[in-house]
Amino acid sequence: MELKLEKFTKRFGTTTVIDSMDLTVNSGEMMALLGPSGCGKSTTLFAICGIHRMNGGRLLFGGQDVTTVPAQRRSVGVVFQNYALYPHMTVRENIGFPLKVQRKAKAEIASEVGQMAELVQISNLLDRRPAQLSGGQQQRVALARAMVRKPDVLLLDEPLANLDAKLRLEMRSEIRRIQKETGITAILVTHDQVEAMSMCDRIALMRDGKIVQLDTPEGMYRNPKTQFVAGFLGNPPISFLSVTAGDTLSLGEGLTLARPQGLEASGDIVIGIRPEHFGPQYGTGLEGVISFVEPQGREELVDVRLANGQEVRAILPVGDPLKTGQHVNWGVATDRILAFSQDGARL
Amino acid sequence: MSSRWLGVGFLAPALVAVLFFFLLPVVMTVMFSFTNMTTATGITGGEYLLSKSRLRQLEAEGVSEETVERLESAGYQITEQGLAALAEEFGEDRADELREDYMGESFTARRDLERVLRNLNDDPIRRTRDRKAAADLFAVTILDERFPTEPAFRDALTESGIDPADHDALVKTAYTGWTWTTDNFKLLFELPATLRYAMNTAIYVVFTLAFNVGFGLFLAISTFYLPQHLANTFRTIWFLPRILPPVMYVLMWKWFTWDTGFISTVLSVFGVTPINWMTESALNAWTVVVLINGFVGASLGMILFSSAIKAIPLSMLYASEVDGAYRWDQIRYIILPQLRWPVLFMTSYQTLSLLTSFEYILLSTEGGPGGSTTTWALAAYTTALRNYGGNLEYGFGAAYALVLVIIGIILSVLYLRFFNFKELVAKPRIEQ
Amino acid sequence: MTGNLRIWPIVLLLGIVSAPLIIMYVFQVIESVAQPQPGTLMPGEINLHNWRFLWQELDRGRPSIWTATFNTFIFATTIALAVCALSSTAGYALSRLNLPGRPYFLGGLIILHAFPTITLIIAIFIVLQYLGLFDTLLGVILVKAALELPFGIWIMKGFYDTVPWEIEMAGVQDGASRFRVWWELVLPQVKPGLAALGIISFLQGWSEFVLPLVLAPGSETQVLATYMYSVIQDDAKLDFGLFKAIGMFYSLPVILVYLIFQKQLMNIYGGGTKG
Repeated sequence: MELKLEKFTKRFGTTTVIDSMDLTVNSGEMMALLGPSGCGKSTTLFAICGIHRMNGGRLLFGGQDVTTVPAQRRSVGVVFQNYALYPHMTVRENIGFPLKVQRKAKAEIASEVGQMAELVQISNLLDRRPAQLSGGQQQRVALARAMVRKPDVLLLDEPLANLDAKLRLEMRSEIRRIQKETGITAILVTHDQVEAMSMCDRIALMRDGKIVQLDTPEGMYRNPKTQFVAGFLGNPPISFLSVTAGDTLSLGEGLTLARPQGLEASGDIVIGIRPEHFGPQYGTGLEGVISFVEPQGREELVDVRLANGQEVRAILPVGDPLKTGQHVNWGVATDRILAFSQDGARL
Repeated sequence: MSSRWLGVGFLAPALVAVLFFFLLPVVMTVMFSFTNMTTATGITGGEYLLSKSRLRQLEAEGVSEETVERLESAGYQITEQGLAALAEEFGEDRADELREDYMGESFTARRDLERVLRNLNDDPIRRTRDRKAAADLFAVTILDERFPTEPAFRDALTESGIDPADHDALVKTAYTGWTWTTDNFKLLFELPATLRYAMNTAIYVVFTLAFNVGFGLFLAISTFYLPQHLANTFRTIWFLPRILPPVMYVLMWKWFTWDTGFISTVLSVFGVTPINWMTESALNAWTVVVLINGFVGASLGMILFSSAIKAIPLSMLYASEVDGAYRWDQIRYIILPQLRWPVLFMTSYQTLSLLTSFEYILLSTEGGPGGSTTTWALAAYTTALRNYGGNLEYGFGAAYALVLVIIGIILSVLYLRFFNFKELVAKPRIEQ
Repeated sequence: MTGNLRIWPIVLLLGIVSAPLIIMYVFQVIESVAQPQPGTLMPGEINLHNWRFLWQELDRGRPSIWTATFNTFIFATTIALAVCALSSTAGYALSRLNLPGRPYFLGGLIILHAFPTITLIIAIFIVLQYLGLFDTLLGVILVKAALELPFGIWIMKGFYDTVPWEIEMAGVQDGASRFRVWWELVLPQVKPGLAALGIISFLQGWSEFVLPLVLAPGSETQVLATYMYSVIQDDAKLDFGLFKAIGMFYSLPVILVYLIFQKQLMNIYGGGTKG
């Protein structure tokens, strides 16, 4: 079911947290609301739930206005960050609760709970209490409870934040699998760009209550609209350098880079170079001294301090031994340089 | 919207209870303290009654001599009411004749009316005693007659032909209910006992509080250094006074201190004459009162302070021991600083509670000997609710209580600032 | 811990200061069944003479102990139930619901919690007469329950505050009304707190002395506290054996409750009651 926010405005007291935001999530799509803490992504989620009231604008589910419909009667399933399982109920009762509220027959509840448990693969845990489950299992129960009444929309609020690294990887693909299998429209709220990029069809990147860019993960990574977006996506993060654009891009101290094709700006600008676009495989061009080497197993991260004092990061396959203090002269994939004006807009 | 109504519904019963048994009593304490309400006046409105015994005082209160005489020498009048009574006792015929000939007529002296009765044409009343009784049926005196309302009383005065100038004074004298007055507070300032109650209260609060805090600290710290089972034993010993019913707890003290009790029995072995150690002298009484309250209060201190000490990270204590600190240093530099807030909390709470409580004093010394342990709160209670003279002075007692109510409100509002109020009123996170 | 410090001086000191209490407890138990000679502390003959109040009339005109026990039980139980019921709703409203004027209610609650209610007894005495509830068990129950309420609401609000908001949010999302969320999802989380509050209120009611003394002085409404008090007041011979037996009878439920719920009681008593 398509979800649409029109001119959504939210105020707490006198401070406006979100001002007239528009967002459309297509039917069957998984959308990430990504942003640093305090950007308004959770507020947006709570407004879609119905837990927060909207101060302005409309919320449409499949074309139907649900702005003033109370949370209980919106067809929204939510998975909370701490799962919010009911501690005094068994897993079976937890999953069955939404159906019990709907006064469904006992047999019907039992069969639907059974199906749902199978979908999230916890059929063997139905008689346990939440306290007897591991984090990942609790997560699955929460997912089952959110989905059992077949909601129009599934909302996931930082669902992986409380899991350890290994489980996080596992649940990432599990959640995506379940979402795809059921074809439900889902919104994932997260501050973790890796989660957003790996799990979602599209990402809405938010900052200060506004969506700064809405795109597919690849599109947003390759083609960020602002310096903020470029800096937020990518791990290890992009390196920014201040340059003066003339015939070439001058970094000072005699360092220069070729102008990327299509760049029209001149004067003082900022360029961004992703780590994978800097290294010996691109020839030579930027001279500097290695200031830091961080081995990551398959690859290593190398920080190179240029003569002008700025640093550029490279990610390289483990090969030749690189040492701190070593003098290097590496090249840049010029056509992948991202250029921004000084106020952060893409050029 | 729905949760708003749910909230109102959830809160309403508690609000009604608070309204009836907190707010109303606070307002009424203020009101009553400005009345002369006693057992005699009753607590609802009164009646209007001029008794014969009050007549003599009336002149002193500025009522004219003529009016007093008029009230005293009441007249007789033939009225329907009197005739009805006559018909009942002496027959319809006599009443009818009297109605025809004398309806509305007045007689100053009973003699005159009796003559009329003797001379009835049809069937005169022959016996003197009967005539006297019959004549009395027509008496119109207002003495010793109860009037439920002021207008009724004024009408009666007018009918009796009493000088209107004296009406107001008579109404005032005749009223048996309570009236508004500020005399209670005048009296409160004039009575030497008031100052004494205040002093007693100060003694009581200061000494008990000092004992509570000091002993609470001692118990908390000393049991902290004991092995678990020993600590629990001592904590139980000291916790029991807190949960035992006060009547029972004080009974144990009575047995301990009275002349047939423990102390006297033990001392009699050494030839000391048994005496009531609780009420023998003011000093004894105070000692016992402070100890009775103190043993209960110390247990609260013990619990509060013990949990505060438990919150100190053990590593901190171990570290101090490694440093070679002596136990006293550990207490002084590590434990005591941690107890600053609990001590402050307990001091402020108990000040208020001690200022106003009288239960244990009432049960033990009853304020004696000779009123030496009567605190302000106990004075309020005995004045209004426990006066063996038979007349309970609600109004005067309320004036005493009002002082405590005001102190209570001021201090509780001050305590409000102790709490982190901002966090307390954090908005509900579900907005519906 | 602190094994390197000797403990016997502490035990000795504590033992000395605790001696009066220990002596009182020991003789309280012994002398409730003993007949010591006047002027001695030896127990003498052990029998149940002191417990005669259970099966015979002590004085003419005094109600039976069983009437008083029944009254006390009704008094304490009703108070515990009323306090639990009203505190669990009002506490929830103050902790979680959007109320008009909520900050004022909370401020008022704190003030009431600290306010010494005993100062109002004169006015309450007269209010009860106006209401026609003077010298009735119902009247004292209402007053005592009302006076215990601020404490109860305060405690319950504290318990509700610890229940995660997300549980309620999840309940609302699952389609349950706020009432149902409270009843089915939140209330079970605070059950231990509610139980503790019930126990405390019961004990408070069981021990209450001044309110029944002032507000229900009649013999038909006597509770154990006023019964025992009047027995002590009226007895010229100072029969401490009798008093102690009555005291034992009166205190047994309290001691039992204490032994069973020791831990919970210590916690809640430490958590902000008045001295």
